[in-house]
Amino acid sequence: MNSRRKIRLALLGALLGTSALGVAKAAEPLKIGLLEDVSGDLAFMGMPKLHGSQLAVEEINKSGGIMGRQIELIHLDPQGDNARYQEFGRRLLNRDKVDVLIGGITSASREALRPIVDRTSTPYFYTNQYEGGVCDASMISMGAVPEQQFSTLIPWMVEKFGKKVYVIAADYNFGQISAEWNRKIMKDLGGEVVGEEFIPLGVSQFAQTIQNIQKAKPDWLLTINVGAAQDSFFEQAAAANLNLPMGSSIKVMLGFEHKRFKPPALNNMHATANWFEEIDTPEANDFKKRWHAKFPDELYINDMGYNAYNALYMYKALVEKAKSTKLEDMRKVIATGDACIDAPEGKVCVDPKSQHTSHRMRLISVGPKHEVTVEKDYGVIQPYWLGQIGCDLTKKNDKDQYTPSHLPNKS
Amino acid sequence: MSAEVFSLFYQFADVFAFLILSAAGLAIVFGMMGVINMAHGEFIMCGAYVTVGLVNLGVPLAISQILAALTAGLIGVLVEFLVVRRFYKRPLDSLLATWGLSLIVTQSMLLIVGSAVRGIGTPEGSFAIGGYTFSTYRLVLFGCAVAVLVALYIIFMKTRFGVIARATMQNAAMAKALGARTGRIYAISFGIGAGLAGLCGALYAPTMTLIPTMGATFVVESFVTVVIGGANVLLGTAPAAVFLAMIRMALNASYGQIIGQIGMLVAVILIVRVLPEGLSSVLARRGR
Amino acid sequence: MFKLLEGPQTLGRGKLFWSCVLAVLAGALVYPLFADSYDVGNFAYFLIWIFMALGLCLMWGYGGMLSFGQTLFFGIAGYGYGVLAINMGGGTATIAALVLSVALAMIAAGILGYFMIWGGINGIFFGIVTLSATLVLAFFLGQTAGPEWHIGPARLNGFNGMKGMDPLTVGDFYIEGSALYYVMIALIVIVYLALRMLVNSGIGNVIAATRENPQRAEMLGYDVRKYQLLTFVIGSGLAGLSGALYTSWGQFITPSSIGLPAAAMPIVWVAFSGRSDLTATLVGSFLLLFGFQTITVYSQQAALVLMGALLLATVMLAPQGFVLGIGKLVADRWRGRRRDDGTVMAEAGRLQSEES
Repeated sequence: MNSRRKIRLALLGALLGTSALGVAKAAEPLKIGLLEDVSGDLAFMGMPKLHGSQLAVEEINKSGGIMGRQIELIHLDPQGDNARYQEFGRRLLNRDKVDVLIGGITSASREALRPIVDRTSTPYFYTNQYEGGVCDASMISMGAVPEQQFSTLIPWMVEKFGKKVYVIAADYNFGQISAEWNRKIMKDLGGEVVGEEFIPLGVSQFAQTIQNIQKAKPDWLLTINVGAAQDSFFEQAAAANLNLPMGSSIKVMLGFEHKRFKPPALNNMHATANWFEEIDTPEANDFKKRWHAKFPDELYINDMGYNAYNALYMYKALVEKAKSTKLEDMRKVIATGDACIDAPEGKVCVDPKSQHTSHRMRLISVGPKHEVTVEKDYGVIQPYWLGQIGCDLTKKNDKDQYTPSHLPNKS
Repeated sequence: MSAEVFSLFYQFADVFAFLILSAAGLAIVFGMMGVINMAHGEFIMCGAYVTVGLVNLGVPLAISQILAALTAGLIGVLVEFLVVRRFYKRPLDSLLATWGLSLIVTQSMLLIVGSAVRGIGTPEGSFAIGGYTFSTYRLVLFGCAVAVLVALYIIFMKTRFGVIARATMQNAAMAKALGARTGRIYAISFGIGAGLAGLCGALYAPTMTLIPTMGATFVVESFVTVVIGGANVLLGTAPAAVFLAMIRMALNASYGQIIGQIGMLVAVILIVRVLPEGLSSVLARRGR
Repeated sequence: MFKLLEGPQTLGRGKLFWSCVLAVLAGALVYPLFADSYDVGNFAYFLIWIFMALGLCLMWGYGGMLSFGQTLFFGIAGYGYGVLAINMGGGTATIAALVLSVALAMIAAGILGYFMIWGGINGIFFGIVTLSATLVLAFFLGQTAGPEWHIGPARLNGFNGMKGMDPLTVGDFYIEGSALYYVMIALIVIVYLALRMLVNSGIGNVIAATRENPQRAEMLGYDVRKYQLLTFVIGSGLAGLSGALYTSWGQFITPSSIGLPAAAMPIVWVAFSGRSDLTATLVGSFLLLFGFQTITVYSQQAALVLMGALLLATVMLAPQGFVLGIGKLVADRWRGRRRDDGTVMAEAGRLQSEES
């Protein structure tokens, strides 16, 4: 009696065990590989990105996951080191066998990852606004690009403040390519670039720069300086009473300088952005509420963190439409031009030719008390430039990065 | 025209102040004591954070800055007692120890204080000459740099402590035999060095973005200044800073910051090649 | 000639030591049969950096020259490999690109070394000059983002880094994964044994003598400058080898592999391991690279704190370096026990420090 009961129990146990195993197999979680710097110089940008991803993962899992599968976030911290990006990119792809790779802050970290991702069939989401131009079938870019930011900002600044601009840019690819964009647009507008200054990364002293600017007498400044050290420019310019209107593609919504500096250092700064925390729509407010509920200490929800949040929803939409986690199937969905999500900013779609995303762009300005006002709403702007110059990922995978002075070979 | 002349002076004063203030602490710790202090930047960061913290508590800026320098100095004495003390006989290992220390401090700061701290704004306002406007605070910095040089000279050349300290650095065993309390001398000297680094951070805190790794922007310049200053730091550091500031200012003004930076480093290589003992060797010879 | 594998300048001799070496080597050779392919590739990646550490050990530990310039030559050869591999069109030519790029690094080291050593630069000044030169290269490459900066079809591409070169290739076969691993093991063995022979030879003795007392070595009739230059060129060439292999491994190199803090890393590895011995450097650098990566993977934001604590603890508790410290501890135990038995087994534990 006793032994028979034991056998029955054992059988039952075995049965339950196998069935549980079967369930587990069907719903094995999707693995999301995330690489964000949360140590080192870039930590203050990487932290909101990690938070955005964590929030999206939590929400998606609560509402049933992706195609019924839960998602698991595997985050590694490359500490701002390109070599670590490569090590960890390989680790996530080859050892953890993640279904999708997300992350990277600087353009250099993205370029470190691309050769590795290109040799696999795993999709890669880059979630920053950047200098644009990457034409690569493995990469989906979630942030805004120059045609969305500069083609709106620069004409507005010229009209409002005048035709003479002085450019301060970080002396690396992002700054140099952004400056190239400015030159091109200013030329079309009949404006004049009265000075361009490229600042090495890590420089924190700007007395000379401020004087050069005063000598050149521009109508406004284009500030595409990067990093905490270079941000000291604003404080030093304010202390020297430079007092010029400024425009930028990365200030306010990305670096939240208006929260980090004492007013009025950022007074009269202008930027075009798809996201900034001051957006006041019901969807945006709801999103902000959820974010701050989960991360009450967040100083500012910047556009990087916001884009990182969107990336997971975009991935979910692509997988569910393709009914597959394979890159080629997802790209078939992108090719239809119908890869869209309803994001807090509004509708965001992936452009089939370049695999960059459309964004609703708004021009914002910062006042003397660092209050942010929306000056103009441009509506949805497509990432059209790559398509115009001949990048068409539905036909050909270039795996290259183009700039106005480095265009695809006409063949 | 006078505006142009003044602007040249202003630019020179600006770079000079930056070099002197960031190098003064290191001149003692590395130049005199021989400790390769990779955590120099972290003492600077400490001074800056304490300043901003105190100002946010409502303490006036100048007092915050003095307190910040004192805090950094006290921490320096503590660090000397716990760590650096063991490395006077093997200076190259001090590099590893202080580098480890610097990693611990920067990352702990990030974890404890967070990645971004709100700035406090630059005091003193601005003034205009010709078509240019200048920040008054920058001239305050220059004044502080000169004051630091004078104070160092007086402390180490004119006081009893200074004589004993220099004797200890030159020959610790002999100094000890003559009754100097060398352990204490080392601790105080290191404390002064750390305090000067803290002062640098405190003075630059209002003008910069505060992040835990901010010390790194000072480190190369300060090592370079001290090294080309040569063995006699009291004689060498000031002319080294003058020399580097002139080169950097001239190149910055005519070719931009990147050439300024590269040019300064090339100048360093050439100076060391011509004067392998540093600038102070020439001055010392002249002096004799 | 093989007698030179053992000698006063290197630790470890006798049957026991070489049996251990062979055992480790055998373990390394069969490792890919058991391990995940990712781990094999990852180990190969660690081995890439070891050459740079061995080169610095030779210059610093044996020659007394603290060079901050390992990443300068790493960068020259790394970029050199990229430019050459792109221009020569991949395939087996990549092997030539590797050799030429290392040669290029050695030539550059020869020029810089001549400039410094004949100028009488030594001590900390040596470190500052090499560091300055390193930063100059890093700053220069950082601002080459524009398309006008190219050598043939190879774009330097500024801070974002150069890419598009083939990895090391023989015919159509990419040397990657376990193939790369075996190549690395072979190269490490060759370089390690060659360096042992070098430092135990007459040249090695002069190098060590120069470190101890340059004047005395000169009085004995040696032109110490030539020996220093030789040491510098070999050590820097090894850094170049690391650089070219690194570029080939990731098909990518950026200026941040050259500038700070990258430039300080080789010094950290060597100081941690124990700079006075090649074996210690070899073992210690590998352990440290492996340890740092593991810490970073598993401890997130605490990683840098732990790494710093590890370094601090090492330098305070084991002044000769981690590996030498442990080695000495083990050897003392061993010797102590043997002595009780009445037999002095010095072979296993000739681990006296070379410190003066």
